[in-house]
Amino acid sequence: MKTLILGLGNPILGDDGVGWVVADKIRAVLSDPKSGIADPQVVEVDTASLGGLSLMERLTDAERVILVDAIFTSKKPVGTVSKFTLSELPDLSAGHSASAHDTSLRNALNVGRSMDIPLPEDENVFIVAIEAKNVYDFSQELSPAVAEAVPQAVKAVIDLIN
Amino acid sequence: MQRITIDPITRLEGHGKIEIFLNEEGNVANTYFQIPELRGFERFCVGRPVEEMPLLTNRICGVCPEAHHMAAAKAVDAVYHVDIPSTAKKLRELLYMAFYCTDHTTHFYALGGPDFIMGPDAPVAERNILGVIHKVGLEIGGKVIQMRKYGHNVVEIIGGRKVHPCTSIPGGMTKGITEEQRKEIEMMGRWAVEFAQFSLKVFNDIVLGNKAYVDLILGDIYTHRTYYMGLVDANNKVNFYDGKVRVVAPDGKEYVKYEAKDYAAHIAEHVEPWTYLKFPYLKNVGWKGLVDGPESGIYMATPLSRLNAADGMATPLAQAEYEKFYATLQGKPVHQRLAIHWARLIELLYAAEHWVELATDPEITSPNFHTVPTEKPTEGIGIVEAPRGTLTHHYWTDERGVVTKVNLVVGTTNNNAPITMSIKKAASSLIKNGIVNDGLLNMVEMAFRAYDPCFGCATHSLPGQMPLQVTIHDADGNPVNVLKQFVD
Repeated sequence: MKTLILGLGNPILGDDGVGWVVADKIRAVLSDPKSGIADPQVVEVDTASLGGLSLMERLTDAERVILVDAIFTSKKPVGTVSKFTLSELPDLSAGHSASAHDTSLRNALNVGRSMDIPLPEDENVFIVAIEAKNVYDFSQELSPAVAEAVPQAVKAVIDLIN
Repeated sequence: MQRITIDPITRLEGHGKIEIFLNEEGNVANTYFQIPELRGFERFCVGRPVEEMPLLTNRICGVCPEAHHMAAAKAVDAVYHVDIPSTAKKLRELLYMAFYCTDHTTHFYALGGPDFIMGPDAPVAERNILGVIHKVGLEIGGKVIQMRKYGHNVVEIIGGRKVHPCTSIPGGMTKGITEEQRKEIEMMGRWAVEFAQFSLKVFNDIVLGNKAYVDLILGDIYTHRTYYMGLVDANNKVNFYDGKVRVVAPDGKEYVKYEAKDYAAHIAEHVEPWTYLKFPYLKNVGWKGLVDGPESGIYMATPLSRLNAADGMATPLAQAEYEKFYATLQGKPVHQRLAIHWARLIELLYAAEHWVELATDPEITSPNFHTVPTEKPTEGIGIVEAPRGTLTHHYWTDERGVVTKVNLVVGTTNNNAPITMSIKKAASSLIKNGIVNDGLLNMVEMAFRAYDPCFGCATHSLPGQMPLQVTIHDADGNPVNVLKQFVD
């Protein structure tokens, strides 16, 4: 399946930028022939600060998507890496897959599908979420526990690719 | 005292909440609307070259990066005391019109419109863009997606990137457009004009054709007699990119008109202990609390404010709609907040028409799109109209152009006081003698949704359906009732 890996978040808003950091590492791993991970199905690794309809539009033509994003539940230790699919996720609570200005990603995907836009099924939209701490202060630094979780998040994405 | 908490739960818990305090009779005494503000942007910018600001400020907000890009671009021009070539100005404005069409379309069809198209009493699960598509037809969904696509295309052609443009620099633009690109942009603009007319027809048929909706708009529940702010051109017509800030009083008469650089003489910010978000107000009228009327310096800055603050629209089709708007709503200014949705569609039509005007302007393909700044950088202010209100960027630099201080007054902040007042009024009308009307959640949602508020920005997205939780506490503070909507 044509796979898109997308790091979501705001790269200058502290831990919210962790999706971008993970995506950059994955890009490096995949482009390194020595890593042994060169899945031709992975067509693109990218970063974005999008939600709702805009995120849906970005997912056009992908058959499988892995979103990497910060999450803030306050229920898990900072740096905890979770994996789930969009269909497993309670609607409206998924980071950038919800949106202040338009609609949730799940709604947006349904809108797109009703327009015959080629989009992945909800069960093929995977989310790797990293529990964040600082998502209110502008900064280019990750909290230590979030920074430490980056290799684990990278591994989680690689495992999904495989 | 009874206490009610309405908590919009987001992925970021406790992201914002509304607390309602009742008096001994069980009627609303006060409401508090609290949101944690993103912190430290000004500090983050200090020490950076000022020409980075149009790129950095893109990242303040995931909803309207283009608005921040434009305000920042104008502010850095001012910092370098450079007049940009008219082609550069027109290119920026053209990009901005395409952005406006995308933004206003998204709000109307995904957020604001569903309240009307589906009806305020429709189940919340249907009051979204999918419900609209099911009710109005698949055709509408295709048009919304197409409008957004064209808007993104123009932003990419002129701005160099989708969503986060990067071509505005001190003195103008880094690149121009070719004749081929111009033709493409013109074609898309003409389509946008038809789409805007179609949207106004949808509004006309579904909303204005339904007496209950018209009564809802004209009712007292969302009415506040405040001042109104908006940018106007030399003829006092609505302008999004440039001009003077005009403020009209609650009676519709011009109160003041000032240049961007003089904003600090007219706007002050009130601080309340219960919220991080400031309350801007008209300094020379004064802060009198969260009340409306000519003695209170509270103003609104939204599509409706812009229409109220101007004498008309600069394009013919939008002007005709403007006249119909005031004729239907019986006078000017219009104080009813739900009319913001209609005003937004009139602005959509103006943006589309102006898009075509700019795309057919002979200067638009000129290679003269940049003036090299030669003055020493000092201080500069840039003001544009963001879709959700007047947006002000103010930068100070040292003689090398390194940022020493930043002040921003963002669109939604302008409306903090009016939003708070609208929530209070909606709550007051729906809670009587301790009895909470079932429609409380919906009506409070509608109150602040009309303003298209954008709080946290890029990342801290309140979910589209604005899930709410109302917790009602008795006089001792014990929760006695919880009303939920989309809360897991």
